[in-house]
Amino acid sequence: MTTRVRRRTIAAFLGPAVAALALVGIAPLLYAVWKSLHYFNLTKLAQERYVGLDNYAAVLTDAVFWQAMGRTATLFAIAVPVQIALGLTIALVLHRPGLTFWKTLTRLSLVLPMATTYAVVGLLAQVMLNQKYGVFNQMLGWVGIDAINFIGDPTNAFIAVILWDIWQWTPFVALVLLAGLSTVPPEIEEAATLETRSNWTVLRFVQLPYLVPSLVAVLILRTADTLKLFDMPFTMTRGGPGAATEFIAVLIERVGNRQFDIGMAAAQSIIMLALTIVLARLYIRLFYREVR
Amino acid sequence: MKLLTHASALALVASAGLGLAGKAQAWSLEEAAKPYAGTELEVLFLDRPGYAAAIKMLPEFEAATGIKVNHTTVPYENALGEQVRDFVAGGDLDIALIDLVWIGNFAENGWIEPIETFTANADLADPDLDMADFFPLVVNAFGGWNGTIYGLPFDNYSGLMFYNSCMLKDAGFDKPPETWADLKDVYGPALTKDGKYAFALQSKRNETQSADSFARMLWPFGGSFLNAEFKSNLMSPESQAGLTFRQDLMQYMPEGIVAYDHSETVNALAQGDVAMITEWSAFYSTLASPETSKLGDCLAVAPEPMGPAGRKPALGGFSLAVATQADDAEKAAGWLFIQWVTSKANAGKYLELGGVPARQSAYADPALAATYKFIPALVESWKDGVPEFRPRFAEWPAITEIVQEWGTKMMLGEVSVEEGAKTIGEKMEAVLAEAGYYDGKKPLAQ
Repeated sequence: MTTRVRRRTIAAFLGPAVAALALVGIAPLLYAVWKSLHYFNLTKLAQERYVGLDNYAAVLTDAVFWQAMGRTATLFAIAVPVQIALGLTIALVLHRPGLTFWKTLTRLSLVLPMATTYAVVGLLAQVMLNQKYGVFNQMLGWVGIDAINFIGDPTNAFIAVILWDIWQWTPFVALVLLAGLSTVPPEIEEAATLETRSNWTVLRFVQLPYLVPSLVAVLILRTADTLKLFDMPFTMTRGGPGAATEFIAVLIERVGNRQFDIGMAAAQSIIMLALTIVLARLYIRLFYREVR
Repeated sequence: MKLLTHASALALVASAGLGLAGKAQAWSLEEAAKPYAGTELEVLFLDRPGYAAAIKMLPEFEAATGIKVNHTTVPYENALGEQVRDFVAGGDLDIALIDLVWIGNFAENGWIEPIETFTANADLADPDLDMADFFPLVVNAFGGWNGTIYGLPFDNYSGLMFYNSCMLKDAGFDKPPETWADLKDVYGPALTKDGKYAFALQSKRNETQSADSFARMLWPFGGSFLNAEFKSNLMSPESQAGLTFRQDLMQYMPEGIVAYDHSETVNALAQGDVAMITEWSAFYSTLASPETSKLGDCLAVAPEPMGPAGRKPALGGFSLAVATQADDAEKAAGWLFIQWVTSKANAGKYLELGGVPARQSAYADPALAATYKFIPALVESWKDGVPEFRPRFAEWPAITEIVQEWGTKMMLGEVSVEEGAKTIGEKMEAVLAEAGYYDGKKPLAQ
């Protein structure tokens, strides 16, 4: 039996959420799109004018923008597979029966890196990786290794940001995949382990199909997070040395908040948004099909 | 504080008793502030010694006037953005904190009031304001734009050479280098050994790179950012010599110097890791305090070394100006605060609490020079300073970003000095062309 719900009731339930979303999400987005079509610099308001797609053309032909995109893509290409590999390993270990107390303790400790404010994570890195006084170099000194210039060398700084991102987000991946593993029916797992002693076979043919939705969620969230990665590198290296860690979000902040070129920064942001949407759709199309 | 309050009360009674005297003699802060009691002022401060000094002085001002000064402390790097957004949005700030390179920007956008608005008002103008007592270079560079004074110098810096006299003595030197060439060729090799370095030049990719590192090496060598036609002067032999010198000097600096900001540099000297730094006068109190420095009696101060074109030390600092967005009561109250905190009468106390006043009279006492080792070097530097050490026009925020990026790339060896200077020049000229300097829309303001 079906009950017909009146349109007014539906509107009453959905209306507040839609209105709130429109107010805090859609309206600022439309404003950003509008401003991206203007020359709009906060320190030169008298010169504000409609410029059509000029800002987009300038962004798309700007080597600095593509270099920042390249760095962001490199970060993503290295950090996310490592996070997935480590996260899956941790999840599989925690999924095994036994040692309940220790597993609970581990699950709790996994939350800590994620719960730490991004900016604080960057500041911690700046202090801990200090060449002269940082705890990392002190520990390296104990085993006879010379102090490494983590923050002042372009390559080392980039590697340090990647390692820090892996440290902060591997636990998130582990917890999501652990939740995914809990959706595997125990009887199927038991049957599979009776059939084969190979953990890899069980993972590949039994557990992995159930993990696909979790992996897609991880990919979408980590892609969005990487594209908007700002707080940690900003407080850790401020995009430097040189432009070694100037990821796309750091660049946009610089253009918008330090050069005050809001029109250009808005165009960069809209391009980044479009890219995020395309990638998200791509993931869903490529990976999500088989369990739909 | 009690003593001060009593003194203020006595002054008030005394000034009331002298009511028959001329108006100039009758002026007092308490009387001038009476109509504005209860007014609240909003201002941004930085986390630096000069602001800590002002914060310690605030209760006295608030007790005397009934005006409340609400200060928000922000990092230097955020101060410009916070204020620009506040002024564009018509926000709460009543007083503008202006780095000398922001003055053109703030003045041209109409965000700050000329001080004449207040100095012409006998009810608000302290007869002892004595503008001539400010170091002329400082008041013009920090608070002036196109011949109009907007702000009074508040947190005042000159670049100075701070050095560890004990390290120099151990290496056989009884005085600091007179010239940059000596620093590199004589002191550099002698002091760079055993994990210690002769010199550290703060060069982090922010305003530190453009102001403290890049510009510092242009002027003493006869270079500059722009020539008289507002075209890039970075390819001139003098500018190239200065920038190449910086590159050569890096061999005597700690590894990773491009990651050193003020705190790392000051700390490197304070902990005995480097022998010499060129830093803002404002860091004297940090280096002199046993809580933050191991230097003790080894701390010594001198003017920055000379280059082929003379001393030309770094010049930086902040003025306070009344914001045009404030209402009339806030403007008047804001002016009274600015006038008071930068006054001759308070300069000694400001100095004692860790600030660096721009009042010539404050440095006239020879006893003070004995107490504060930086005073003779500071006074000498303010005589040799260049107001346009960094261009002060509205386009500086865009230009400094270019200098920061390419100046750092130069230091890292990612581009040659020549390539870097050429790129900065082209990009700088593009910004100036867009602003209208080359087609006569804007006057060549400096």
